[in-house]
Amino acid sequence: MRAPSPAPLLEARTLTVRFGGLEAVGGLDMAIARDAIHGLIGPNGAGKTTVLNVLTGFIRPTQGQLVFDGEEIGGLGVNRLARRGLARTFQNIRLFGAMTVLESVLVGAHQRFSANALSLVFSSRSAREAERAMIARAYELLDFVGLGAEVADRIATTLSYGHQRRVEIARALIASPKLLLLDEPLAGMNAVEKAEIADLVRHVRAQGIAVLLIEHDMQVVRSLCDHLTVLEYGRKLADGPPEEVLADPAVQAAYLGRAR
Amino acid sequence: MDYLGQLLANGLVLGAIYALAAVAFTLVYGVVRLVNFAFGELFMLGAFLTASLMLPEVRLLGMIVPMPGFSLPVAALGAIVLTGALGVLVDRIAYRPLRNAPRLAPLITSIAVSVVLQSLAQTIWGAEELRFPEFHLATLPPVVLFDSIYLSVMDLVVMATALAAMLGLSAFIARSSLGRAMRASAEDQMAATLVGIPVNRVVAAAFAIGSGFAALAGLLYAQTYGFAHSNMGFLPGLKALTAAVLGGIGSIPGAALGGLILGLVEALGAGYLPNGTAWKDAISFVLLVGLLYLRPQGLLGKPELNSAGRGSLLGGASEFGAAWLRAGFAKVDGLLAKSAAAGPRAALVLLALAVLVGLLVPSDYWLRILTMVVIYGMLASGLNVIVGFAGLLDLGFVAFWAVGSYLTSILFVLVLKDQFGVAPADIWWLLYLNLPLAGLLAAGFAVILGTPTLRLRGDYLAIMTLGFGEIVRVVAINWMDLTNGPMGIRGIPAPNLFGIALGSPRAQFFFALALAVLVVFAIARLVRSYVGRAWVAIREDEEAAEAMGVPTARYKLYAYAASGFVGGFVGVFYAHSQQYISPLNFSLFENILLLMLVVLGGLGTFVGPFVGALIWIVFLQLALDLPFVQAYPETRFALLGVVLIVLMVFRPQGLAASARVALTMPGARPGALPGARAGRAKEAA
Repeated sequence: MRAPSPAPLLEARTLTVRFGGLEAVGGLDMAIARDAIHGLIGPNGAGKTTVLNVLTGFIRPTQGQLVFDGEEIGGLGVNRLARRGLARTFQNIRLFGAMTVLESVLVGAHQRFSANALSLVFSSRSAREAERAMIARAYELLDFVGLGAEVADRIATTLSYGHQRRVEIARALIASPKLLLLDEPLAGMNAVEKAEIADLVRHVRAQGIAVLLIEHDMQVVRSLCDHLTVLEYGRKLADGPPEEVLADPAVQAAYLGRAR
Repeated sequence: MDYLGQLLANGLVLGAIYALAAVAFTLVYGVVRLVNFAFGELFMLGAFLTASLMLPEVRLLGMIVPMPGFSLPVAALGAIVLTGALGVLVDRIAYRPLRNAPRLAPLITSIAVSVVLQSLAQTIWGAEELRFPEFHLATLPPVVLFDSIYLSVMDLVVMATALAAMLGLSAFIARSSLGRAMRASAEDQMAATLVGIPVNRVVAAAFAIGSGFAALAGLLYAQTYGFAHSNMGFLPGLKALTAAVLGGIGSIPGAALGGLILGLVEALGAGYLPNGTAWKDAISFVLLVGLLYLRPQGLLGKPELNSAGRGSLLGGASEFGAAWLRAGFAKVDGLLAKSAAAGPRAALVLLALAVLVGLLVPSDYWLRILTMVVIYGMLASGLNVIVGFAGLLDLGFVAFWAVGSYLTSILFVLVLKDQFGVAPADIWWLLYLNLPLAGLLAAGFAVILGTPTLRLRGDYLAIMTLGFGEIVRVVAINWMDLTNGPMGIRGIPAPNLFGIALGSPRAQFFFALALAVLVVFAIARLVRSYVGRAWVAIREDEEAAEAMGVPTARYKLYAYAASGFVGGFVGVFYAHSQQYISPLNFSLFENILLLMLVVLGGLGTFVGPFVGALIWIVFLQLALDLPFVQAYPETRFALLGVVLIVLMVFRPQGLAASARVALTMPGARPGALPGARAGRAKEAA
C-alpha cells in the first residue's frame, strides 16, 4: 500500500449547495488524496454531479471552503479552475461538433499556447513550435487512450460512443491536470469496454494524476477505487476504503439494497 | 410646467402607439420565440391600406384605381383585417416550415419578409409619401388641459383606442379558450401539442392578432403625423421591438409598460436635451442597450429567454422539397465544402484566376462590379469571424465599416483639405497609414461594444448589436460637425501610390484584390491556431470550452476585435474607392446583406464570403436586365428577399452546411511523426 500523503490534493469543508429551498449538497466534508482513484457514489439524485460541478466551478457553492493543492479555490471561474489543473469529462459526452478529433483534443491544450496575434499571423517560429509540440502530444494521448492516429482527422462526433468517451478523456488529459474528474465514464458500455476504460483510469493514476470518479457499477468501483465517498440526499453517508464502505449496512440499505 | 405637461402628453400618445406595436412583437415571440422583424412593415401596410380605403382613388403601380372612400373607423377595420390575414399568410409560407430550425434561419426569413414587403409597398404605392386623409374628428378644436396642455381630439382617440385594444387583448388571453391555449403554447409547445392543443392554429392566431395590432399602431401613427410612406415602418418597428424588450419580451403588460416608457423618454429627451429632436432616435437605442446590459430579461420578462442553442447558427434539415432539389442542394453543398477545405495550392489557383479575370475583363462597368464583389467579400469575411467562427450573431457590424470609412474621409477631406488646404495627392501615403489605424480604431470600438454583450445570447445578442449599429448610424447622421450629416462626405481621393493615381476601375480591382489577400491570409492564420479552435469551441459548446480552460469571454472579445479590425480596414478602402460616403451606406440592410452573403457561401469558411458576394452581386446585375425589374427597380430587393426565404425554407442549414476549414497550422501537421506514419500505414494496410 502507498504511504498516505500528508496533505490531500483537494479538500472540501462543509460544502453546501442550495437551489432555492432545495438543499442539493449539505455540509459535505471530503478529501481527495494526491494519488487516489476516489469514487463518488450514491443513488440517483444524491448530488454527485452537483459536487463535481461545484469542484469545477460550474456551480457556486452556497457555503463552504474548497482547497486545491494548498490554495483556496472557492469562487474561481470554470476556466481558471481548469488552468489550475482540474480537468473533467461530462456525463453526456460534450465534444465539439464540426471539429476533428485532433482539433478537439487540442482545445484541451488551450492554456499551453501563448502566441500573440501578430506572431500567429506571421507564423513565428515559437508559434509553430508550440503548435507542433501540442499536436505531437495530442497524438501521444490518442495512443494513450487507445485510439489510433487514423481517427485524428475524423469529425469527433461521428465516432462510436466508446471512442467519443476516449476522445473526451484525451481532451481532458492534454493540459496535464492534477485531478481528472470523470462523470460516469462507463455508462452505456459493455463489459469489455468497461474493463478497458478501468485500465485506462489506472494508467492515468500511474502518471501521477488523481482521479475522481462518479460511477454506478459497483464491481468496477470496488476493484478500481482506493477510496469511496457515499452521498445520499446531498449528505455524506460514508467515507473510507471500498471494502469498509460497501460493507456498511447503512450504505447497503441506501444504495445497494435498492439496486438489487 | 406647461412645457413639461405638453411633452408628457405627446409622450403618452407616442407611447400608446409604441405599446400597440410592441404587443405584436411580444405576442408572437411569447408563442414561437421568433423576433418577427416584418411587424415594422405590417405597421406600414396598416397605414397605407387605411389611407387607401379612405380615399376616393389611389395611384397604384402608376395607375389610378378607384377606392371606396370609407370613413376612418371602417377603413381601419378593413386594414386591420387585411393585415391580420397577411400576417397569417406570412407565417404559413415563411415561418411555419422553420418552426424547428435553429435560430438564424427564422431570423433571416423574418428580415427577408420585411425586405419583400417594403419593396413591394414601394413598388405599389410609389416612393413618395401618401398624405393621410383627414378624419372629421380631427377638425374639432383641441382639448385644453390645465389651461396649457393641448391635446387634439384624435390624440385622445389614439390613447383610448390603444387602451381599449390592450384591455381587450388581456381579457381575451385571460378568459377565452384560445387565449388559454396561447398561454399554454407559450409555456411549453411540446406539452401543449401533447395535450391536444392545435399549436399551429394557436400560432396563426397569434400572428393574426399581432399583425392586426401592428396595423392599428401603424394607422394611428400615420394619422397622427399625417402621411404614409414605404419606409415609415422601419424605425417605429425597431422601437416597438425595443419597447417589447424593455418590458420583457413575451410579457403583454411588459410591452405596454415598455411602450409608454419609450414614448415618454423620447418626448422628454426631444424636449429637454440640446438638439434633442435630432437625437431622439438614439435615445431609444441607448436605453435599449443600457437595459439589456443591466437586466437582460427586461423589466417584466423571464431570464431563460436569454439563451441560445449550441452549435452553428444554421443547421437542421428541411422537410420540404422534391428529391431532385435535395440532391441539387447536396451537390452544391459538397462543392462548397470541397472548395472550403481546399489547401493553399487551391487558394493560389483561385487568386491566379482572379488576377486573370482582372486583366482580361474589358469593360470598366464589370470591373467596378467585380471590385464590389471583392469589397463585400472582405466585409463578409470580417463578419464571418464573429458569426461563422465564434457563432455570435452580430447585426451591428456595419458600425465598424462606418468607423473606417469615416476616419479616412474625415481626415482627408474635412480636416486636411478643408481646414488646412492640403491637396490629397500630396499626402497619398496617409491612406496606407489609415488602413491599419482604422482597423485598430474599429477593433477598439468592437471591444467596447462587445463587452456589454458578453452576458447576452441568442436573440437578445442580435437585438443589442442591432441597437449599437443604429446608434452609430444616428450619430453619423446627426453629428454634423464631425460627419457632415446626411449630406455625407464628397471628394474622397482615389487611392494613390507614390503619386500614381489608382483611380481606374482596373487599378481599383487589383488594389481590392491585394487587400483581400491580406485579409484572408490574416484571418486564416488566426483561425488555424489555438485562437480559431477556441472560437469554434465556443460556438459548438461554450460551457465545455470553458471547462477546457478557454476564457470564453476574452475570446469572444478577440473575435469582436478581429471582426472589427477587418471592418475598419476595408472601410478605408471602401471610402476611397466610392469617393463619396453617407450614413445611408451603413444601414441595417447592408448588415443583413453581408450576413446573407456568409450564409450563401458558407459560415466559418474562408472562401465562402467571396462565393456569396459573387453569387449575389452578379445576380443583382443580371436581374437588372429583366424587363420587369427595369420597370420597377425596387423589386430587385423583393427578389433578394424571396430568394432568401426560398433558400431558408428549403435549405435552413444554408447552401454550404458541411463546409468547414482545418483548424490546425498547416506546417505543424505530423507527417514527420513516426507514430502518426505508423498509424497511417496501418490504416492503409
